[in-house]
Amino acid sequence: MKRHIVGLAALLLAGMAGSASAQTMSYSQAGALIAKSCGPSIERFCAKVNLGSGELQQCLMQHQDQVPSSCFNDYKAVTASIAKRVAAQYDSYKVCGPAARQFCAGVQPGDANVLDCLLEASKVVPPACKQVLLDAGWQ
Amino acid sequence: MTRFTRLAGGLALAAALAAPLATAATAQTADTDRQIMQGLSQATMFDPSLTAQVLRQMAQDAVNQNKPLTLDKSEIAKRLDKLAQINVQIQFALGSAIIRPESYATLGAIADAMHHPILWNYKFIVVGNTDTTGTRAFNLKLSQERADAIVQALETVFRVSPDRLEAVGLGQEALQVPSKPEDPINRRVQIFTIGNVKPMGNPIPTNAP
Repeated sequence: MKRHIVGLAALLLAGMAGSASAQTMSYSQAGALIAKSCGPSIERFCAKVNLGSGELQQCLMQHQDQVPSSCFNDYKAVTASIAKRVAAQYDSYKVCGPAARQFCAGVQPGDANVLDCLLEASKVVPPACKQVLLDAGWQ
Repeated sequence: MTRFTRLAGGLALAAALAAPLATAATAQTADTDRQIMQGLSQATMFDPSLTAQVLRQMAQDAVNQNKPLTLDKSEIAKRLDKLAQINVQIQFALGSAIIRPESYATLGAIADAMHHPILWNYKFIVVGNTDTTGTRAFNLKLSQERADAIVQALETVFRVSPDRLEAVGLGQEALQVPSKPEDPINRRVQIFTIGNVKPMGNPIPTNAP
């Protein structure tokens, strides 16, 4: 019995971890996280490197021994989350297309009309579509 | 801040950039999500003749001719006032185009709005402005570099499609408060909605045969 409870707890934990990582961060959260974890190091070691230049991570690496590891970890997490969010936004058309045709026929695209329709129909929209909207940051 | 208010902030920003309202633009600066949410409800229609290239040329001409500053808003500023827009404060290193980390989250908030389906099909001009401290030519150059840096970050880090963004530096040629030309309030970044990426699609067809 005890083993079962431990097993269940592990399952629950795994499930929570799963759902937590399924949620992508907003771009604003992503920017804030880089600023928080890497900002002091950027101002100290990479004061002449711009965020969008593509050279910031490399510059931080050059001062690896003085930059906290949380900076590298969080930077990686941000990059992965943004990649996942962008992919979900791109995939949403394909994944939610059938649901849109089924539940949102006649809706005029634009002004987030289709998204609003899908969110309103969330009880009948397939889980894959709901997941892709969540990952896209639109829910 | 809760997830909801963040989302609402992004949505308000998206709505402000998309909304075709007829109110005149105010001097509101949106440098937090909350201010973005509250401060943005201006705009009118697109002005297809007001392209990034035309704006750059207007500013360059004003600098070349050393046009006197007036107490009125400049011609450039008046035309821009009519577009859907927001003002944001981005912190740069002194005299340079390096964006300070404290402004990374603000850039992200702009990206959140641009990635939302409300603004999915729109293009934007990011405009950098200075006050009148420093020389006119230097200000023009610096503001272009700063606008470029913002666009670069939006494209590379925050993955906004490059075909949706253009950068323009106007230097001191579109002062927000012409009666106080040296006031730092004039240092600002503006983002204007300038048109559609492609024509809006047709209504969704049904699955039924």
